[in-house]
Amino acid sequence: MKKLLATLLTTTLAVTMITGCGNSADNSTSPATETETTQAADTAETTTEETAQAPALSGELNLYTWDGMFPQEVLDGFEQQTGVKINYSNFDYDEDMLAKLEETEGGDYDLVIADDYIIELAIKEGLVQKLNKDQITNFGNINSLYQGQFYDTTDEYTVPYGAGIPLIVYDKDAVGFEIKSYADLWNPALEGNLAVIGNYRVIDGIALKTLGESFNTEDLDTIQKAGDKLMELAPNIRLISDSNTQDYIVSGEVTAAFLYTSQVNAALDANPDLSVCYPSEGLGFGIMAGFIPSQAPNADAANAFLNYILQPEVSAQCTEYIGYYSTNKAADEYIAPEKKDRLVVPDSVTEGEIIQNISQEAEDLHAEIWKKFQTACN
Amino acid sequence: MKRKKWIIATMLPIYLFTILFVICPMIYMVVLSFMSRAEVWGVVSVFTLDNYRKILEPLYLNTFRESLQLAFTSTAVIILIGYPFGYYMGQLNEKWKKRMMLLIMIPFWTSSLIRLYGWIIMFRSNGVLDMVLMGLGITEKPLKLLYSYPAVATGMVYALLPFMILSVYSSVEKMDWNLVEAARDLGASGMKAFWTVTFPLTLPGLFSGIILTFIPSMGLFFIADILGGNKIVLVGSVIQEQLTKGRNLPFAAALSVILMVLTSLLIRLYRKLFHTKEIEGLV
Amino acid sequence: MKKKRKFPYIYIGLVTILMYIPIIVTVVYSFNASKISSVWGGFSLTWYEALWKDREIKEALWNSIVLALSSCTLAVFIGTLGAVGMSKTTSKFNDLISYLATLPLMIPEIILGMVFLALFSAMGLPFGMPTLILAHTTFCIPYLFIMVSARLIGMDKSLEEAARDLGATQVRTFFDIILPQLVPAILSGVLLSFAMSFDDVVISIFVTGPKVNLLPIKIYTKLKTGITPEINALATIMLAVTILFVLLSRLIGRKSANQ
Repeated sequence: MKKLLATLLTTTLAVTMITGCGNSADNSTSPATETETTQAADTAETTTEETAQAPALSGELNLYTWDGMFPQEVLDGFEQQTGVKINYSNFDYDEDMLAKLEETEGGDYDLVIADDYIIELAIKEGLVQKLNKDQITNFGNINSLYQGQFYDTTDEYTVPYGAGIPLIVYDKDAVGFEIKSYADLWNPALEGNLAVIGNYRVIDGIALKTLGESFNTEDLDTIQKAGDKLMELAPNIRLISDSNTQDYIVSGEVTAAFLYTSQVNAALDANPDLSVCYPSEGLGFGIMAGFIPSQAPNADAANAFLNYILQPEVSAQCTEYIGYYSTNKAADEYIAPEKKDRLVVPDSVTEGEIIQNISQEAEDLHAEIWKKFQTACN
Repeated sequence: MKRKKWIIATMLPIYLFTILFVICPMIYMVVLSFMSRAEVWGVVSVFTLDNYRKILEPLYLNTFRESLQLAFTSTAVIILIGYPFGYYMGQLNEKWKKRMMLLIMIPFWTSSLIRLYGWIIMFRSNGVLDMVLMGLGITEKPLKLLYSYPAVATGMVYALLPFMILSVYSSVEKMDWNLVEAARDLGASGMKAFWTVTFPLTLPGLFSGIILTFIPSMGLFFIADILGGNKIVLVGSVIQEQLTKGRNLPFAAALSVILMVLTSLLIRLYRKLFHTKEIEGLV
Repeated sequence: MKKKRKFPYIYIGLVTILMYIPIIVTVVYSFNASKISSVWGGFSLTWYEALWKDREIKEALWNSIVLALSSCTLAVFIGTLGAVGMSKTTSKFNDLISYLATLPLMIPEIILGMVFLALFSAMGLPFGMPTLILAHTTFCIPYLFIMVSARLIGMDKSLEEAARDLGATQVRTFFDIILPQLVPAILSGVLLSFAMSFDDVVISIFVTGPKVNLLPIKIYTKLKTGITPEINALATIMLAVTILFVLLSRLIGRKSANQ
């Protein structure tokens, strides 16, 4: 299993590396980008008019996801084409979304885009309905490497929207040495100069990786050992933040940062001289995917929207906008090469695994270690 | 009799609202705190004391201690800065009173998050302050001011100061200055007149100011997260994390219950210390 | 004669300036061409343009105004009446209720949000504006209640008694004697609760529905993904509108005073 995932990861990464500082579409300062996107949207419209024979759509589509997940042009394009009004509302954490779905018993919202692990739970709770694949004619565009994953092994419920790998970004001159692995983050030269994301499964996970263990280990002793190792990282931590973490490395507040893929891209957009490290111990990755809640008021519109964003041109546009790895094989050729070729994992890194839900005891131990780590950093 | 009906009518809305939207949620919270968590989300009705037992672990006790400490520090600083401000403001002439009131309120209408980010732009390494200091040759290297305990305390003070100012101001404003003058006429020094006359009269304002600042400062976790770089863990952050990432509703509820009991006790203590019987109806 | 002292003015001025520093920084950086807030990329109006095109932000702003106005109005009504009523009676119940009414200030917002979510869904209320207004009114009431109660305690009772002695009805006494004296307290209560409602993220995110986007939620989620300059532009505009509004109302006030 692990090996399969490793192959999966490396091949995919080699093929579909893309970028886009979360807002390439927003930077309308460059006229070239603007015409390009409008053209893309135009072509997109014509393609679907020919292919889609969806049921007559009407009403509204209640889209529920994080902020900044779709370029405005894509939302507008769908509205123009179908006459469906999109209500785009946001949640902060995946768990807020789960709470809302639990309380409304899978109603109120038509389409949710969230992280892999929470989707597994939502499906388990019966809050997700099966996709109508007759309507999603573009389903075949999905890169099969991102299918059949732990959260939806039969691909009946979800359409992947993007994949991410947390990576290390650093200023080589300021750091003074080359960072090659997670273990290098423990180097005392980085004292008070490291910013990390606040996802404890990932951060505790890199300690596990330095010990040669899996991100997903459920062995409590192993996790505890990694926890002890993690405490030694504390003096190097300047700050922990999930939002705008790239800002700190760009501004020079820190010299090295461990970031989400979209943040890596944003950092490189702002300062192309920064170096990226693909840790030699192996990568961890995650997938964001869309699903339709069980009692969605307008499931037809949701299926149609999923189909719409699976079109190669539209998908490419979305991928460039959010700055994650593309999960749409057909979209690859439409992604700007300078973005596609930016974050390619080198051949030397051969290991990678998707970060999955683990047993409650293991999860609780991770959380406890994390709390101790936070306090130790101060 | 008629008078009584009238009074009951005025109180009816607040009674109703309080019962429905304060007491009900509270009971729900207390009940939750004795339940066990469900596998994925929510709770199962199995009585347990584990949630409270867990709070006694050193990890969480420490969080409470730190939160209290931070709340005390920030409130003390807020009193030191805010009380004189409100006091002086209450002595301005009518025109300036109105102007100052607006000046204090205007920042409130821009998002508190945006103001926090304003601080960050100002104090970060290579930020505005560094540019100025380094430009003037006062410092050579960028300072590291953020992501520390003082930074968090400063953020708290900044966010909550207006509450103290407004509370003190409102009690100074309605104060009878004749009393102070009478004291002065009787030969009391300025200081003495202040401590014997003015200060006791403004205590209710100071007190409501403390309530409005101390309590929120225990829970304002986003300030701690943003300015403390997530390294200072407050009770609020733990509750937030248990509700979201931890998906542990009962434990979060238990933490909240303890937090509320704690704040209620502190309020009682303050009341005893200040001998402010007049504001009995307040809290 | 009283000596004019300079210190209070200097003190007030200094603290006020300190309070405004982050706001000035926000305004300045709204004209920053660079997307990353820590880099100054030159003067630009890009973010104002982006803001103008952002339909969601405009919608969210409108929703937030409606929400804050409705909950403040409700809170003024409930909070003021409650405070006045309770000042007139002494009962154990009152003490308890007045304690409980201020409790929303003590319960961590996140827990309140979660509990409201459960409560409203148990009551079968549809998530959206109605649930938001109820939730916001709940945490606005304490501000009014505290402010008005504090005022009532220090209020001169003799006027009111005189009016009653002269045969004025309860209602008449309330509107002619009590209410005018309460206005400053109500006003500061409203200013506070409006600001709180306009700024609330944590509770709103739980009780809002699929069709109601609010400005603070938008700001919060946008700050998370890092589109800060657009938000700075928004803050600048809001600030400008507030100041304009204030100046205008003063101008009108002065004119009517002159006539």
